Amino acid sequence: MKLISLFFTALLTENIVLTKFLGLCPLMGNSKKEENAYKMGLLVVITTVLSSIITYIFYFQILVPTNTTHLRTLVFIFTIASIVGILEILIKKYLPHVYRSMGLYIPLITTNCAVLGVSILTIDNAFSFLETVVYSLGSSMGFLLVIYVFSTLRMKLEKAPILEGFKGIPIAFITLGIIALLFTRYGL
Amino acid sequence: MIEIGIISTLALVFGSILIFLNAKLNVKDRKKEEIEKRLPGYNCGACGFGSCMGMVEAILKDKESYLKCRPMRKEAKEEMREYLENEKF
Repeated sequence: MKLISLFFTALLTENIVLTKFLGLCPLMGNSKKEENAYKMGLLVVITTVLSSIITYIFYFQILVPTNTTHLRTLVFIFTIASIVGILEILIKKYLPHVYRSMGLYIPLITTNCAVLGVSILTIDNAFSFLETVVYSLGSSMGFLLVIYVFSTLRMKLEKAPILEGFKGIPIAFITLGIIALLFTRYGL
Repeated sequence: MIEIGIISTLALVFGSILIFLNAKLNVKDRKKEEIEKRLPGYNCGACGFGSCMGMVEAILKDKESYLKCRPMRKEAKEEMREYLENEKF
């Protein structure tokens, strides 16, 4: 029961994008087309879950026993980058059409702060292993949800009558801000 | 001291995984490199594919495309034919 509530907390009330403002750059850069948006979201889900599991194991099996917890950020970034590199090679081999449509954006997941953010938050919140898995799944599904909904909104915004100066990225940020405002109220 | 050990061990492990996977899975990329090596590399575009990289893509689709290369010498063409016949696509 606790795990279910944790999942929905991570998915909605403490949505990683809308309440913590992590992972905004892939959200803005990759939400112009609906299909690219959900592909990006799915890749982030895979990367986040894998990397938070591996970083959790690294932290409690290597860094804590050797008393080198100050290396946390370095080791985590390192792990995430390697996982993304491995994923890129696998995608290139087995899903070439995905690679062709978003090849350039796959290495950018490395710099997605949501992935690193989830890994660090699980440590800071002192979650158990099972809770880590559920929390990372919930948070990344939250990212997937937001990027998908946001991409459909942006496709509508393309056709909307907007002032010349607000077209494109500015109106996207304003829209995201309004959605975030709703979520902050919900969290309180 | 122990920090150096941890980071270098991690680097070694991840690096070897990446190198292993790359060698195992990126066969197509290696083929591309091999074909490109055998092209003249002038990027003249006389073949109609724009550049030598375009020519490589065309060869991967249709083996006979290399005949359209103008600056390629006869011996080089012979070599290319041999390579393409022995390789599986």
